[in-house]
Amino acid sequence: MNNLERFGLTEDQLRILVSEGLRSGGDWCDLYLEDTSYYDLMLRDGCVGTGGFHIDYGCGIRVLKGEKTGYAYAESTDYQELVSAARAAGAIASGSAGTAGGNSFRHFRSDSGTFTVKNHYPVEKDWREAEAKNFIPFLERLEKGIKSKDSRAEKVTAMLSYSISEVAMFNSFGELTCDRRPLGSLTVPIVFKQGGMIESRNVSRSLRMGVEMLTDEVLQDLIDRSVKGIDERFAARRPKGGQMPVVMAAGASGILLHEAMGHAFEADFNRKGQSIFTDKMGKRICGKGINILDDGTVPFSRGACNYDDEGIPGQKTYMVTDGVLTSYLHDRISAACYGVAPTGNGRRESFRYNPIPRMRATYMENGNDGTLDDLIGSVRKGIFVDQFANGEVKIGEGDFTFYVKSGWLIEKGRLTMPVKDINIIGNGPQALADIEAVAGDLKIDESTWTCGKEQSVAVSCGIPSVLIKNLTVGGE
Amino acid sequence: MITDIELKLIREALDFAKKSGAQKASATLSASSEDLVATLNGDIDRITRCQDRSLSLCLFVDGRFGSFSTNKLEMNALRDFILKAIETVRMLAEDPCRDLADPSRTCKTALKGDELGAVDPVRAGITPEMRRQAALDASVFSTPTPPEYKIVSEEGEYSDSIYEVALMDTNGLFCRQTETSFDYGVEITIEAGGEKYSGYAWDSWSHSGDLDSAACGRLALEKAVAQIGSEPAESGKYTMVIDRECASRAISPVLRALSGYQIQQNNSFLMDSIGRKIFPDGLTVLDDPHIRGNVCSKLFDSEGAATAPHAIIEGGVVKEYFINTFIGNKLGMVPTVEDPVRPHILPYPQEGLDRAAILKLCGDGILVTDFNGGNSNPATGDFSYGIEGFLFKDGRIVRPVSEMLVTGNFLTLWQGFKAAGSDARQCMSKLVPTLAFENVDFSG
Repeated sequence: MNNLERFGLTEDQLRILVSEGLRSGGDWCDLYLEDTSYYDLMLRDGCVGTGGFHIDYGCGIRVLKGEKTGYAYAESTDYQELVSAARAAGAIASGSAGTAGGNSFRHFRSDSGTFTVKNHYPVEKDWREAEAKNFIPFLERLEKGIKSKDSRAEKVTAMLSYSISEVAMFNSFGELTCDRRPLGSLTVPIVFKQGGMIESRNVSRSLRMGVEMLTDEVLQDLIDRSVKGIDERFAARRPKGGQMPVVMAAGASGILLHEAMGHAFEADFNRKGQSIFTDKMGKRICGKGINILDDGTVPFSRGACNYDDEGIPGQKTYMVTDGVLTSYLHDRISAACYGVAPTGNGRRESFRYNPIPRMRATYMENGNDGTLDDLIGSVRKGIFVDQFANGEVKIGEGDFTFYVKSGWLIEKGRLTMPVKDINIIGNGPQALADIEAVAGDLKIDESTWTCGKEQSVAVSCGIPSVLIKNLTVGGE
Repeated sequence: MITDIELKLIREALDFAKKSGAQKASATLSASSEDLVATLNGDIDRITRCQDRSLSLCLFVDGRFGSFSTNKLEMNALRDFILKAIETVRMLAEDPCRDLADPSRTCKTALKGDELGAVDPVRAGITPEMRRQAALDASVFSTPTPPEYKIVSEEGEYSDSIYEVALMDTNGLFCRQTETSFDYGVEITIEAGGEKYSGYAWDSWSHSGDLDSAACGRLALEKAVAQIGSEPAESGKYTMVIDRECASRAISPVLRALSGYQIQQNNSFLMDSIGRKIFPDGLTVLDDPHIRGNVCSKLFDSEGAATAPHAIIEGGVVKEYFINTFIGNKLGMVPTVEDPVRPHILPYPQEGLDRAAILKLCGDGILVTDFNGGNSNPATGDFSYGIEGFLFKDGRIVRPVSEMLVTGNFLTLWQGFKAAGSDARQCMSKLVPTLAFENVDFSG
């Protein structure tokens, strides 16, 4: 696929722009052209009365001098504006930027010209060719389905957002890489009322698909998850806080891997010596049999990438293999610095940002320690968590926290009391070392996960049910 | 920044929307320019130049409403964009609550953009070399350190920017605002005894002379060093003092709960609170939107409604929800402003207290200097956050604490309100000073 025509530029012009960028002595230059159309529709108070679309168009130009970056962009593809941006980015290598004479790196070819990349998100029906009115009945059925299934659902907001990004990347090697990236997201915040009590919930589903994602299966899944366990939410209390074992349900608990481990495996934090996993490459960091990976090849996943935003093909990267740290997540800069091939993790929010190491779909492979019931049955007193939100980690210290939207108290191997609105805190390496059991029920969650490391990037996460022997649980 | 030609373009876009079927329309043109120099370990690491310009349109067509934006600003492209947008709006359901802000409450005093004195002309003369020097001068990476610790990394970021926004609508609204911003932020990671600790500090002002970059580096290093040897304190109830750097965490959920949108969705723990005494006598929160020369001050909100100083909570009584035209029509209430602009917590029990004075006033407890994750339930006000900070006794810091959680409910938290200082940082959007609360649950 070559989509250069939509940007009004030729490959010869791109070549000249790269030369402009390198004129002051940079050793690498790449261009990122983007044309994104974003649409949204919202049902609120019973009708789809809000909608719109948004266009974002431009080109980012990056020049590298060793590990140093110059970046500039233009909100157009006017050739003269791009020349100006290329020169601004190229200033990183000039004497006035104080970086002249920096070490040059050997960069790896992305092989995009010869590498046969599988399309991880083929589109059957392009969102841009459909009219918004065709989606209104879907949102109406969604609201009706939720309200008819639970009359306590007092306020249902149903939002559909969808976008297509056309991107083209060109670099110092003369490699041209193009991609078409669809993304559809359904988000449903609901307010339930029972007597004088109010509970709110938010369910979502997000996939790199076209219009064909709006199936009855997706509709029913959102309806079912909207009302599932709401009785327990009204009955839930806070447990007594303290240190205790925690069983995490398969799927969305994968946010633990993303926050507590994945960020600390990103190579920029390690290159700068900031991560708690710096200098741990090749060392055992958790029990044998545990594999943790970051994967750009999960079909239709929100975290899937045919190519990353540096033109590197999407791939699977094992960060932890059989309990041993085997790879960081690299962009071109860190890969060149470490002398390894990039792992396809150079991602960015848009042409306005330079790429940095980011996760895609991060998950742990299945273990052999039985089922979720087995894990719960092995705990004398602890917490079972089935819905997390708002994870955060301190990269250097490794300390992480997660907000528990819903879960249960475990007593003598049984779920005895629903709990909610508590926080769990731990330390990434310690939590990894404290994983006692991994079930065989891996699930990759398809909710609308967005990672906010400096820039917002769509990701996904997953995990089988796991038992961690000791975390701090907040409570009364 | 925004040129007369661009203002003419907005007027033409609004006229074209009306001619093409919209009965009413509003347009917001925003433009910004930013230059940034990042350092790593006292050396230049990244330079970035950002130039942004985009147009947002709200269209009201046959009782229907839609919002649209684009950064393709040529008139021909805009015409196609508007025609397609109107076609989209016609597909939506009618919504009688949608309307432009009533002209009687829109801003008429923001005509030039610099009325609040938030533009520093110095920015126009800043050269790349001056930026580079500003970033390098702020570094403390080479500062000699004692043998107990070493600096592993220092990431600094200096930037200066100018931002301008212009609003117009088909009722004759015209207002604009321009502000410059000079910013520096730095994160320092140290290693001590095989453990890593990090500290972050930042500063941001509209006028370059107010920016104190060097102080940020020193403060970030102090914060990192102060955490050496931190460990959890025993779980239990403590008096909690929250440092001004992060004290907005205690009031932001309260302000969100007063948002008209949350009220209309029945998703607020402050439903039906207007005019009621929900909080203790000592809590007064004012909105001071017109502080001259400050970042974040505003003469108008996003639909052009004029802002004005007013009380949000006074003597514990809730005085205001934040209501725009749409939510006002939904709730049958008089619109106010969309959001608080510069909320300001007044000192309590007396003026002039700073962090040290409040620690002394409280005696024993936990001083929270940073929050790590966590959340709150908007419907109930229940919260749980990770924290780091210090255990203090007899008003003096004893040792650092980390890996602890603070858990509670915002309504009960504020019932234990003990003190508010006079030390809010003027460069923050919310003017929240050091705060103190009694009987707060900590787990470690």
